[in-house]
Amino acid sequence: MEDAELAQRAVRGDPEAFGSLIDRHGLAARRAARAILRDEDDADDAVQEGMLAAWRAIERFDPARPFRPWLMRIVVNAALDARRRSKVRQAEPIAETLESGGLAPDRMAEAALLRARIDAGLAELPERQRIALVLFDAEGWGHADIAAALGVPEGTVRSYVFHARRAMRQSLGTLAEGMK
Amino acid sequence: MTMSPFDNQPDPELGRLLRERLTGPAPEAFLRRLRLAVAAERADQWDVLAGWARPRVLAAAIAAGFFLWLGAWFTQSAIHDDPGITMAATLPAQTVVSSQAPAVDDIMLALRERGPR
Repeated sequence: MEDAELAQRAVRGDPEAFGSLIDRHGLAARRAARAILRDEDDADDAVQEGMLAAWRAIERFDPARPFRPWLMRIVVNAALDARRRSKVRQAEPIAETLESGGLAPDRMAEAALLRARIDAGLAELPERQRIALVLFDAEGWGHADIAAALGVPEGTVRSYVFHARRAMRQSLGTLAEGMK
Repeated sequence: MTMSPFDNQPDPELGRLLRERLTGPAPEAFLRRLRLAVAAERADQWDVLAGWARPRVLAAAIAAGFFLWLGAWFTQSAIHDDPGITMAATLPAQTVVSSQAPAVDDIMLALRERGPR
Protein backbone atom coordinates (compact mmCIF):
# COMPACT_ATOMS: atom_id res chain seq x y z
CA MET A 1 0.00 0.00 0.00
CA GLU A 2 1.31 3.43 -0.94
CA ASP A 3 2.06 6.17 1.57
CA ALA A 4 -0.76 8.26 0.13
CA GLU A 5 -3.36 5.58 0.79
CA LEU A 6 -2.08 4.91 4.31
CA ALA A 7 -2.05 8.63 4.98
CA GLN A 8 -5.64 8.96 3.78
CA ARG A 9 -6.69 6.17 6.12
CA ALA A 10 -4.77 7.82 8.95
CA VAL A 11 -6.55 11.10 8.21
CA ARG A 12 -9.83 9.21 8.66
CA GLY A 13 -8.59 8.15 12.11
CA ASP A 14 -7.14 4.70 11.38
CA PRO A 15 -4.30 4.21 13.91
CA GLU A 16 -3.09 1.02 12.20
CA ALA A 17 -2.46 2.96 9.01
CA PHE A 18 -0.49 5.52 10.95
CA GLY A 19 1.42 2.66 12.59
CA SER A 20 2.39 1.36 9.16
CA LEU A 21 3.69 4.81 8.27
CA ILE A 22 5.73 4.80 11.48
CA ASP A 23 7.24 1.46 10.46
CA ARG A 24 8.18 2.91 7.09
CA HIS A 25 9.62 6.22 8.18
CA GLY A 26 10.47 5.80 11.86
CA LEU A 27 14.10 4.82 11.37
CA ALA A 28 14.76 7.52 8.78
CA ALA A 29 13.27 9.98 11.25
CA ARG A 30 15.54 8.58 13.95
CA ARG A 31 18.64 9.01 11.78
CA ALA A 32 17.67 12.58 10.93
CA ALA A 33 17.04 13.34 14.61
CA ARG A 34 20.37 11.80 15.58
CA ALA A 35 22.09 13.90 12.93
CA ILE A 36 20.61 16.97 14.61
CA LEU A 37 20.88 16.06 18.28
CA ARG A 38 23.76 13.58 18.33
CA ASP A 39 22.50 12.20 21.62
CA GLU A 40 20.50 9.04 21.14
CA ASP A 41 18.05 9.48 24.02
CA ASP A 42 17.29 13.06 23.08
CA ALA A 43 16.95 12.02 19.45
CA ASP A 44 14.56 9.17 20.26
CA ASP A 45 12.47 11.45 22.47
CA ALA A 46 12.35 14.06 19.70
CA VAL A 47 11.22 11.48 17.13
CA GLN A 48 8.49 10.28 19.49
CA GLU A 49 7.41 13.86 20.12
CA GLY A 50 7.38 14.52 16.39
CA MET A 51 5.35 11.38 15.64
CA LEU A 52 2.79 12.27 18.29
CA ALA A 53 2.58 15.82 16.94
CA ALA A 54 2.04 14.38 13.45
CA TRP A 55 -0.69 12.06 14.73
CA ARG A 56 -2.43 14.95 16.51
CA ALA A 57 -2.21 17.06 13.36
CA ILE A 58 -3.08 14.29 10.90
CA GLU A 59 -6.49 15.83 10.13
CA ARG A 60 -4.70 18.88 8.77
CA PHE A 61 -2.56 16.79 6.39
CA ASP A 62 -3.50 17.25 2.74
CA PRO A 63 -3.56 13.73 1.20
CA ALA A 64 -2.92 15.28 -2.22
CA ARG A 65 0.61 16.11 -1.07
CA PRO A 66 3.42 13.63 -0.30
CA PHE A 67 3.33 12.34 3.26
CA ARG A 68 7.05 11.73 3.87
CA PRO A 69 8.28 15.34 3.72
CA TRP A 70 5.28 16.46 5.80
CA LEU A 71 6.11 13.93 8.52
CA MET A 72 9.84 14.54 8.37
CA ARG A 73 9.38 18.28 8.63
CA ILE A 74 7.48 17.79 11.88
CA VAL A 75 10.15 15.43 13.23
CA VAL A 76 13.00 17.73 12.19
CA ASN A 77 11.26 20.66 13.86
CA ALA A 78 10.79 18.59 17.02
CA ALA A 79 14.49 17.73 16.99
CA LEU A 80 15.48 21.35 16.40
CA ASP A 81 13.24 22.42 19.30
CA ALA A 82 14.82 19.77 21.52
CA ARG A 83 18.25 21.00 20.48
CA ARG A 84 17.35 24.56 21.40
CA ARG A 85 16.03 23.39 24.76
CA SER A 86 19.15 21.38 25.56
CA LYS A 87 21.68 23.81 24.14
CA VAL A 88 23.22 24.35 27.54
CA ARG A 89 23.90 20.65 27.88
CA GLN A 90 27.05 19.20 26.50
CA ALA A 91 26.35 16.91 23.53
CA GLU A 92 27.31 13.36 24.27
CA PRO A 93 28.99 11.25 21.62
CA ILE A 94 26.83 8.74 19.75
CA ALA A 95 27.11 5.28 21.24
CA GLU A 96 29.09 2.65 19.46
CA THR A 97 26.67 0.98 17.07
CA LEU A 98 28.69 0.30 13.92
CA GLU A 99 28.95 -3.39 13.36
CA SER A 100 32.51 -4.48 13.95
CA GLY A 101 32.04 -7.98 15.30
CA GLY A 102 34.31 -10.62 13.80
CA LEU A 103 36.91 -8.15 12.56
CA ALA A 104 40.61 -8.61 13.21
CA PRO A 105 42.11 -6.18 15.75
CA ASP A 106 43.63 -3.97 13.07
CA ARG A 107 40.31 -3.83 11.22
CA MET A 108 38.46 -3.08 14.46
CA ALA A 109 40.81 -0.20 15.12
CA GLU A 110 40.19 1.00 11.60
CA ALA A 111 36.42 0.76 12.11
CA ALA A 112 36.68 2.74 15.34
CA LEU A 113 38.71 5.37 13.54
CA LEU A 114 36.12 5.51 10.78
CA ARG A 115 33.35 6.02 13.35
CA ALA A 116 35.33 8.80 14.93
CA ARG A 117 35.91 10.42 11.53
CA ILE A 118 32.20 10.20 10.65
CA ASP A 119 31.27 11.72 14.00
CA ALA A 120 33.84 14.48 13.59
CA GLY A 121 32.77 15.13 10.02
CA LEU A 122 29.10 15.33 10.96
CA ALA A 123 29.86 17.49 13.99
CA GLU A 124 31.64 20.04 11.83
CA LEU A 125 28.75 20.40 9.42
CA PRO A 126 26.18 23.13 9.91
CA GLU A 127 22.91 21.63 11.10
CA ARG A 128 20.93 21.92 7.88
CA GLN A 129 23.80 20.62 5.76
CA ARG A 130 23.98 17.61 8.07
CA ILE A 131 20.26 16.93 7.72
CA ALA A 132 20.38 17.37 3.94
CA LEU A 133 23.36 15.03 3.66
CA VAL A 134 21.70 12.32 5.77
CA LEU A 135 18.39 12.57 3.92
CA PHE A 136 20.06 12.62 0.49
CA ASP A 137 22.80 10.01 0.84
CA ALA A 138 21.56 7.81 3.68
CA GLU A 139 17.84 7.93 2.92
CA GLY A 140 17.93 8.43 -0.84
CA TRP A 141 15.54 11.38 -0.78
CA GLY A 142 15.29 13.70 -3.76
CA HIS A 143 16.23 17.35 -3.49
CA ALA A 144 12.57 18.39 -3.77
CA ASP A 145 11.49 16.27 -0.80
CA ILE A 146 14.36 17.53 1.33
CA ALA A 147 13.50 21.09 0.34
CA ALA A 148 9.89 20.49 1.42
CA ALA A 149 11.00 18.94 4.70
CA LEU A 150 13.41 21.76 5.55
CA GLY A 151 11.24 24.51 4.14
CA VAL A 152 13.98 25.87 1.87
CA PRO A 153 14.32 26.16 -1.92
CA GLU A 154 15.58 23.15 -3.86
CA GLY A 155 18.69 25.02 -4.97
CA THR A 156 19.59 25.59 -1.34
CA VAL A 157 19.37 21.85 -0.70
CA ARG A 158 21.75 21.19 -3.63
CA SER A 159 24.15 23.65 -2.09
CA TYR A 160 23.82 22.01 1.34
CA VAL A 161 24.56 18.57 -0.10
CA PHE A 162 27.48 19.89 -2.16
CA HIS A 163 29.19 21.53 0.82
CA ALA A 164 28.40 18.67 3.19
CA ARG A 165 29.88 16.09 0.85
CA ARG A 166 33.01 18.12 0.34
CA ALA A 167 33.47 18.44 4.10
CA MET A 168 32.85 14.73 4.66
CA ARG A 169 35.35 13.86 1.95
CA GLN A 170 37.95 15.87 3.74
CA SER A 171 37.03 14.30 7.05
CA LEU A 172 36.98 10.69 5.88
CA GLY A 173 39.82 10.92 3.38
CA THR A 174 40.67 7.50 2.00
CA LEU A 175 39.71 5.70 5.20
CA ALA A 176 36.26 4.64 4.03
CA GLU A 177 37.76 2.84 1.02
CA GLY A 178 39.19 0.17 3.32
CA MET A 179 35.83 -0.56 4.95
CA LYS A 180 34.17 -2.02 1.85
CA MET B 1 33.23 5.78 -2.10
CA THR B 2 32.73 8.23 -4.94
CA MET B 3 32.18 11.26 -2.69
CA SER B 4 31.86 13.62 -5.59
CA PRO B 5 30.17 16.78 -4.43
CA PHE B 6 28.83 17.24 -7.96
CA ASP B 7 27.18 13.84 -8.13
CA ASN B 8 23.41 14.22 -8.39
CA GLN B 9 22.75 10.69 -7.14
CA PRO B 10 22.98 9.41 -3.58
CA ASP B 11 26.36 7.92 -2.76
CA PRO B 12 25.67 4.31 -1.71
CA GLU B 13 28.89 3.93 0.27
CA LEU B 14 28.53 7.16 2.20
CA GLY B 15 24.84 6.38 2.68
CA ARG B 16 25.66 2.98 4.15
CA LEU B 17 28.20 4.46 6.56
CA LEU B 18 25.78 7.14 7.69
CA ARG B 19 22.93 4.66 8.14
CA GLU B 20 25.12 2.34 10.20
CA ARG B 21 26.31 5.22 12.31
CA LEU B 22 22.95 6.87 12.86
CA THR B 23 20.37 4.07 12.95
CA GLY B 24 21.00 3.35 16.61
CA PRO B 25 20.49 0.20 18.65
CA ALA B 26 17.37 -2.00 18.69
CA PRO B 27 15.52 -0.44 15.74
CA GLU B 28 12.54 -2.83 16.07
CA ALA B 29 12.08 -1.94 19.72
CA PHE B 30 12.26 1.73 18.82
CA LEU B 31 9.52 1.39 16.20
CA ARG B 32 7.41 -0.56 18.70
CA ARG B 33 7.89 2.25 21.22
CA LEU B 34 6.66 4.79 18.67
CA ARG B 35 3.58 2.74 17.82
CA LEU B 36 2.76 2.25 21.49
CA ALA B 37 3.14 5.97 22.14
CA VAL B 38 0.67 6.77 19.35
CA ALA B 39 -1.75 4.08 20.60
CA ALA B 40 -1.53 5.51 24.12
CA GLU B 41 -2.12 9.00 22.78
CA ARG B 42 -5.22 7.77 20.96
CA ALA B 43 -6.52 6.11 24.12
CA ASP B 44 -5.98 9.38 25.98
CA GLN B 45 -7.91 11.26 23.32
CA TRP B 46 -10.87 8.90 23.73
CA ASP B 47 -10.70 9.24 27.50
CA VAL B 48 -10.80 13.01 27.21
CA LEU B 49 -13.67 12.79 24.75
CA ALA B 50 -15.57 10.34 26.93
CA GLY B 51 -14.91 12.44 30.03
CA TRP B 52 -16.21 15.47 28.18
CA ALA B 53 -19.21 13.65 26.74
CA ARG B 54 -20.62 11.84 29.78
CA PRO B 55 -21.74 14.84 31.88
CA ARG B 56 -22.92 16.69 28.80
CA VAL B 57 -24.98 13.79 27.52
CA LEU B 58 -26.55 13.51 30.97
CA ALA B 59 -27.25 17.25 31.09
CA ALA B 60 -28.74 17.14 27.58
CA ALA B 61 -31.00 14.22 28.57
CA ILE B 62 -32.19 16.05 31.68
CA ALA B 63 -32.81 19.23 29.69
CA ALA B 64 -34.70 17.31 27.01
CA GLY B 65 -36.86 15.63 29.68
CA PHE B 66 -37.58 18.97 31.32
CA PHE B 67 -38.59 20.61 28.06
CA LEU B 68 -40.81 17.66 27.14
CA TRP B 69 -42.54 17.91 30.50
CA LEU B 70 -42.84 21.70 30.15
CA GLY B 71 -44.34 21.32 26.68
CA ALA B 72 -46.84 18.75 27.88
CA TRP B 73 -47.78 20.96 30.83
CA PHE B 74 -48.38 24.00 28.63
CA THR B 75 -50.48 21.97 26.24
CA GLN B 76 -52.64 20.66 29.07
CA SER B 77 -53.07 24.16 30.56
CA ALA B 78 -54.02 25.58 27.19
CA ILE B 79 -56.70 22.92 26.77
CA HIS B 80 -58.13 23.49 30.25
CA ASP B 81 -58.06 27.28 29.87
CA ASP B 82 -59.82 27.31 26.48
CA PRO B 83 -63.45 28.23 27.38
CA GLY B 84 -64.75 26.79 24.15
CA ILE B 85 -63.22 23.39 24.86
CA THR B 86 -64.24 23.53 28.51
CA MET B 87 -67.76 24.42 27.59
CA ALA B 88 -67.88 21.74 24.89
CA ALA B 89 -66.82 19.14 27.44
CA THR B 90 -69.81 19.98 29.65
CA LEU B 91 -72.46 20.29 26.93
CA PRO B 92 -74.59 17.30 26.07
CA ALA B 93 -73.05 15.31 23.21
CA GLN B 94 -75.97 15.90 20.85
CA THR B 95 -75.47 19.65 21.27
CA VAL B 96 -71.81 19.54 20.34
CA VAL B 97 -72.16 17.28 17.29
CA SER B 98 -75.39 18.86 16.08
CA SER B 99 -75.23 20.96 12.92
CA GLN B 100 -77.82 23.34 14.41
CA ALA B 101 -77.21 26.05 16.99
CA PRO B 102 -77.78 24.85 20.59
CA ALA B 103 -80.91 25.84 22.36
CA VAL B 104 -80.57 28.49 25.08
CA ASP B 105 -81.93 26.07 27.68
CA ASP B 106 -79.23 23.52 26.94
CA ILE B 107 -76.50 26.13 27.39
CA MET B 108 -77.97 27.39 30.64
CA LEU B 109 -78.30 23.84 31.93
CA ALA B 110 -74.67 23.12 31.09
CA LEU B 111 -73.49 26.27 32.83
CA ARG B 112 -75.48 25.42 35.95
CA GLU B 113 -74.04 21.91 36.06
CA ARG B 114 -70.50 23.26 35.66
CA GLY B 115 -70.96 25.65 38.53
CA PRO B 116 -68.89 28.74 39.33
CA ARG B 117 -65.13 28.58 38.48
